[in-house]
Amino acid sequence: MPDLLTQTTLKGQALIEQSGLLPGSPNVWQSLIHKPLFGLLLTLVIFQLALWFYNWCGRKAFVHPVAVSSVAIAALLKLSGISYSEYVDGNGLLYFLLGPTTVALAIPLYKEFHHIRKLALPIVLTVIFGGAFAAASAVGIAWFMGSDEQVLLSLAPKSVTTPIAIGVAENIGGLATLTTGVVVFTGVIGVLLSPLVFYLLQLRDPRQQGMILGLNAHGIGTARAFELNPTSGAFATLAMGLNGAFTALTLPYIIPLF
Amino acid sequence: MLKALIALLFFQLCGETLVSVLHSPIPGPVAGMLLLWIALAIKGGPSKDLDQVSHTLIQYLSLFFLPAGVGLFFLPASVQQYWPAILAAMLVGTLASMLFSGFLMKRLSAKKAGAE
Repeated sequence: MPDLLTQTTLKGQALIEQSGLLPGSPNVWQSLIHKPLFGLLLTLVIFQLALWFYNWCGRKAFVHPVAVSSVAIAALLKLSGISYSEYVDGNGLLYFLLGPTTVALAIPLYKEFHHIRKLALPIVLTVIFGGAFAAASAVGIAWFMGSDEQVLLSLAPKSVTTPIAIGVAENIGGLATLTTGVVVFTGVIGVLLSPLVFYLLQLRDPRQQGMILGLNAHGIGTARAFELNPTSGAFATLAMGLNGAFTALTLPYIIPLF
Repeated sequence: MLKALIALLFFQLCGETLVSVLHSPIPGPVAGMLLLWIALAIKGGPSKDLDQVSHTLIQYLSLFFLPAGVGLFFLPASVQQYWPAILAAMLVGTLASMLFSGFLMKRLSAKKAGAE
């Protein structure tokens, strides 16, 4: 008798699993996590949680939402067995929005232009020398530590905003996936280090703080600068745009020299 | 909101067309930003709608980078052996260049203020 009971229960379980009705059954779970929408929703939910955490910690740079959520998402993808390419495909919408958002940066730039005009010369000089130093220091350190050529080329555009950096990396023979990741993490690291740098240099002027964030930490630094102050944000936007244009125009011509 | 999105996408398209016609290495959206900036200077400022939508988009700028950032944890095996060098270049390189550019900006702005 008990044997028969177990058998029927097992049969029933198998039936339910096949039909995919139970949330715990592999069919539902597999079809759920492999929907493109799942990847996008994962990004949005984790980022929202990271934002709450960031605000709860008083917007301290070391709990930057991009840093916290990228680690969390990478861990979840590895645990659930979703491939990165599948995840990225699902997040096409966010990548698409980077374009119109870049265009939208014209508005703060226009509104704060009167501040910028007064400092035109220091801005242009800092972008040229600071931008060159950012590329040279990254490549120099990685070369010293024995990286191969492709890694060096992928690191060169690290302080430039992602769409420009990918274009430049492909142009000079770097690895686009490495460049993208390095660029984003350079942005995060720039934001994490910014309180230390501002303290060491006694840099309190919001215009100068914005410049440093936009120049070294591109879009992520610019987003941080807007949190500090709108003028800071406009300066970051300008530094990011100028550095991007400067690097895009010069790097493809400098690399063949080495 | 729709009018603002149309304006932003229109300028992005103009920027991308301009860049491909000129064979410029500057990305289309950056060229679009410059074109919109010129248009705003001629028109005398953004509409309230465009101002609000832009503000919302910029607020989430770092979210749009997130999927790309996750890619750093999924690098091809050929690159993984260079992890320490990549990490050092990002950490030390960024700290050094932030200190350098901060110092430069501070000195140059101080000179400028002194000269005026």
